[in-house]
Amino acid sequence: MKIACFVEAYNFNNKPERCALSKFKSTAESMGHTFEFIFKDRISEIKEYDSLFIRSITDPNNSAYIVSRLAEQAGVRVIDDPHSIRVCSNKAVLYDLFLKNNIPSPDSLLFTGDYSGENLDRIFDTLGTPVIIKTPYTRFSSHVEKAHNEKEFTEISKKFLTKSKVLIIQEYIHSDFDWRVGILQNKILYMCKYRIPEGGWKVKSKINGKNVWGDTIALPREMISPELRKICIDLSKCVGDGLYGLDVKETINGYKVIEINDNPSIYEGYEDTADKDIYEKIISALVS
Amino acid sequence: MIVVSEDEDESDSSPLLFLGQPVYESVLNINHDYRYLRMGYYVSAHAETYGVEVTPSCTEIMDAYRNPLLIEKARRHGLLAGNYSLITKPRDDLSGPVMLFAVNPFTNNSMKIVRSDRRLPGMIRKMSMDARFPVSLHPLLGEVHEIVQMFGESTFDEASKFTERFFEIFNIPICKLVVQIDDGDVILNHCEPALKKEVKWDIVHEKVHEIGMKKQHENSLLC
Repeated sequence: MKIACFVEAYNFNNKPERCALSKFKSTAESMGHTFEFIFKDRISEIKEYDSLFIRSITDPNNSAYIVSRLAEQAGVRVIDDPHSIRVCSNKAVLYDLFLKNNIPSPDSLLFTGDYSGENLDRIFDTLGTPVIIKTPYTRFSSHVEKAHNEKEFTEISKKFLTKSKVLIIQEYIHSDFDWRVGILQNKILYMCKYRIPEGGWKVKSKINGKNVWGDTIALPREMISPELRKICIDLSKCVGDGLYGLDVKETINGYKVIEINDNPSIYEGYEDTADKDIYEKIISALVS
Repeated sequence: MIVVSEDEDESDSSPLLFLGQPVYESVLNINHDYRYLRMGYYVSAHAETYGVEVTPSCTEIMDAYRNPLLIEKARRHGLLAGNYSLITKPRDDLSGPVMLFAVNPFTNNSMKIVRSDRRLPGMIRKMSMDARFPVSLHPLLGEVHEIVQMFGESTFDEASKFTERFFEIFNIPICKLVVQIDDGDVILNHCEPALKKEVKWDIVHEKVHEIGMKKQHENSLLC
């Protein structure tokens, strides 16, 4: 079968991602398929392929959404499908999804710019201090900040509201790592710990003015606890049957899902170190 | 059916109030702007999360507002639409006169008409933000018109049949269409949000009332 992999130039910037892309290609070819990288100037050619695998950053406003939707309309099997992109790319939509489906997650509120004393009291009474402020389009820990008091809250939220009508305010949960659980077709694909770097509070933290990423520690997927497995599968089924990466905090009160991402990172030497068959499984899903 | 609109006279709920509540009935989402990350979009997304029928759906919104998706869908349904090519940088085989539409997250009202070949490369570079985003290029064939479409009704009599068919296909209650009239044919080139002041709200109110009455009648038959 003919597999198209939609990428942008930045996907080849760092070695682990470049090597992972190369591994996808060699795995597909060893399974008897063709695997071709296509860029945004060839979006219109997508109908000529049997399946599409998107590796560039997905967002309803990006070229990736257009190629995904064109593929879907042409009957081309696609990971990530347009519905998954629309749901997972927007944290306000996820907030709604978690609420509707009783997904265990940090206490959260939507904020649209009501700075009345009554509303600010409600936010801090409900969520405690500090609170996390997120834009709907946050990714890779960007556009996520922590506010310790009303003054910080007002400063950060006003800055974010210039770009978005809605913000998500969440209780802060301290942890040394986030679970990253990779899901494919509603089955566990891989599992990692994304460690929080020392001196930071999120996986990519600004420490002494520099962006620092925490380590990734992959664990065999069989080691996942039954409780975490159930939460992850239940949530992925609420979105679809594609490829997802769930970020989950482990707390004394149980697991709390932070988000479900479509188009999760897969870097050689990171997510693939414990379960080495993830390339084969993804290619199989693309041609099934 | 719940009507969600910023206009208090015609709505059962404002968008802000609606977003804070669970939804159990079908939703008619009235807004002049359904762009992604805007309130009009969130209303439809909220309704979809609760599994109820909503006009317009998020898929319909995105299909209408992203130029290549708009043109492909129009063609599939037999609506006359311009030939387009997606480009990211100037090419030797491109020449004016053309219409250009930005396919990026930042631009609204992005139409540029370029008549001279000399100006084309510079405009493509500018609109693609130096090859970061695609630009949709349409040949300029006839007279260009901007039409406001409201539930199939049009602000331009010559295109009334066209807008009626557009609404049947795309299900977007209010939008602005960029079309060309070529030899009497109406050709679709683009769809974008209408400005609030461009919308004939009396037509919208009348249509919402009609839809409400029809739903009421259907429900009474079911009872």
